[in-house]
Amino acid sequence: MQSYASWIVIRRLRVPFIIIIVTFAVSILGMMLIPGQDDQGNVYHLNFFDAFYFVSYMASTIGFGESPYAFTYPQKIWVSMAIYLTVIGWFYGIGTIVALIQDKVLAEEIARSKFVTDVREMNEPFILIFGYNNVTKNLIQRLSQIPRRMVVIDKDESKIDALQLEGYHPHIPSFHGDLLDVSVVEMAGIKSPMCKSVVIVFEKEYKNTRIAMMCKYLNPEAKIIVRSNTLQNNDYLYTIGIDHIENPFRVISNRLHLALTAPHLWMLEMWVHGHPLQIGLHERIPRGKFVIYGYGRMGRALETGLVKANIEYIFIDAGDIFTQNQKKVEKIFSEEVLENKLIDAGIDDAAVIVAGTRDDMVNLAVIMLARKHNPDIYTIARENSLSDLKIFNAANIDRNYILEEIVANKTYNYIAKPLANAFILQLTKRDDKWGRAIVNRIVTKLGRKPHLCEMSATLKQAFALYHELEKGTKVPLKVLKRSRADYTKNSAVIFLLIKRGEEIILLPGDDFLIEQGDQMLIVCNDESEEDLAYILNNYYEFNYVLHGKEKISGVLEWFYKE
Amino acid sequence: MNFDKVISGFFFILAMTLNFGFFYGNPEVLAEHSKYELFAAIVVNLIATIMKFGDKTQVGSVLLATSLVADIQLIGSASIWAIALYGLGGLDIESSTAIISLSGGALLANITSVVIFVGDTLKSKR
Repeated sequence: MQSYASWIVIRRLRVPFIIIIVTFAVSILGMMLIPGQDDQGNVYHLNFFDAFYFVSYMASTIGFGESPYAFTYPQKIWVSMAIYLTVIGWFYGIGTIVALIQDKVLAEEIARSKFVTDVREMNEPFILIFGYNNVTKNLIQRLSQIPRRMVVIDKDESKIDALQLEGYHPHIPSFHGDLLDVSVVEMAGIKSPMCKSVVIVFEKEYKNTRIAMMCKYLNPEAKIIVRSNTLQNNDYLYTIGIDHIENPFRVISNRLHLALTAPHLWMLEMWVHGHPLQIGLHERIPRGKFVIYGYGRMGRALETGLVKANIEYIFIDAGDIFTQNQKKVEKIFSEEVLENKLIDAGIDDAAVIVAGTRDDMVNLAVIMLARKHNPDIYTIARENSLSDLKIFNAANIDRNYILEEIVANKTYNYIAKPLANAFILQLTKRDDKWGRAIVNRIVTKLGRKPHLCEMSATLKQAFALYHELEKGTKVPLKVLKRSRADYTKNSAVIFLLIKRGEEIILLPGDDFLIEQGDQMLIVCNDESEEDLAYILNNYYEFNYVLHGKEKISGVLEWFYKE
Repeated sequence: MNFDKVISGFFFILAMTLNFGFFYGNPEVLAEHSKYELFAAIVVNLIATIMKFGDKTQVGSVLLATSLVADIQLIGSASIWAIALYGLGGLDIESSTAIISLSGGALLANITSVVIFVGDTLKSKR
């Protein structure tokens, strides 16, 4: 794609240039033809150079005076005409250039060509993100910490301005344009070999599917992450070969099922997403009767979870709580109708109320009315937009499912922590007893707020280990667990999972032999993460934990014989 | 009839003919070459260059390139004239042949430009 900016400039300057040249030419010719007088009274003609020199400083209003001799009257008459001719031409030219600088079309062209160059010059893998909204903003903020390179396009120019004001580092090329337009998507680098993944997480199902299909065809290599809220559409996306589908309702359904049947697995899953490794008494979801307000996508998803967990539930159809005002078209929210519906559903003896409509205000009203009738009820609310977070926090809801946050978290994990995702997948295959054992083990070693990190036995992330493995040394896992202060003691790390190729080893034992390229998911704290990174990368540290003595190198080797 | 073509064709061909008019004659005798004709050739060449601005086709780019070559050579020729006359204290045979041969180079560029222009016009179906 070619840049049009220079063409716009050239086109606009065509007329002013012609005017300047013609006016100059006429003035110069006149100055040469009209006879003048030198200081001795002889007749002379200005030559080309004199005339060009004089007209140049006359037209640009610099005005050094009459040269080479004072002008005669016929010359002065011509000069006074030429002044108006050339000065007007000159100012017209300058005016056009100034107008061009302020021109919106030109500014956009320059921005576009800068964007195209930025994307083309991207020499490391990048993620193409569609739209700059609450979800992607959250995602971008976290991904730029790691850091990952990204390219963002949005159809709204003001959103792109907002992104550029944030001043992310490393720089995120961004531009606005129609996201369904192939040329815009191509401009954003979908065909670039560096474009490794694509994130499409709009709320609109159809839009997501269309963009996903387009991206799949344009770049079959890239991993495409799509948000999709309905099961039918999920199936369709799988058929066209989309790699990862975010369905927030299915996530909620699975979580509810885990929460009701296996609280420790639930705890582990929440912990992977950033929650502390404990669950307060008030957070535990009671196994009583569920009243679910709203039988939409969320309602249906919850139903599958509840059926699997074998829990009694009742749905309230969210249909007509709005009464039409007689004269105005505006809808009026009727609290009375809502309250009656809740009473009919038996809110008084229910254990849990779920407010799951797509209207945040209605959800809050449902929670409030339910509390009025049954103060001890456990409240679960669906929050559709992150911008309502403060209101929902103030409402003191027991469990708040924020759709946008779930999507952002899941996408982040998929891109940045692939092993954490694999771990969550493993959880669903285990029972709660196993979960409790793991939780206890982690808590006794690292407390309630440990964090997860991922390291791999590659040259880049584990320099010393990689070279040692290359020599053929057998390195069991217990070596990496040793403390670098005293190798007889262990540091606070737990190896949760190791991924070797496609194989996944959950909780590898002490004698597990590490190979090159193994990816490790590790529970640690700040200190032990740093220590482990030292051991993996530094020859001397690694040698110490491996053999229990300092590595001696250089001249000293001759003096210390083993 | 395409009015645009008339205007641009007029300037392209005028640039070439004026250039030829200046070039024609004994290169060692500057009196055979009018300075006014060189001036006119430079002005018309500059206008022709600007007429070629903004045409994004391949042919347009080549036309613009030939015009730029002609401009550089003609302005170079005028500059040598001015420098020899005022900077070096008078014209000798060497500088006058340089002036004429530079304008001869410009003439070649102008001929190329006109040939391409005519060829492109003949190819056009409208």
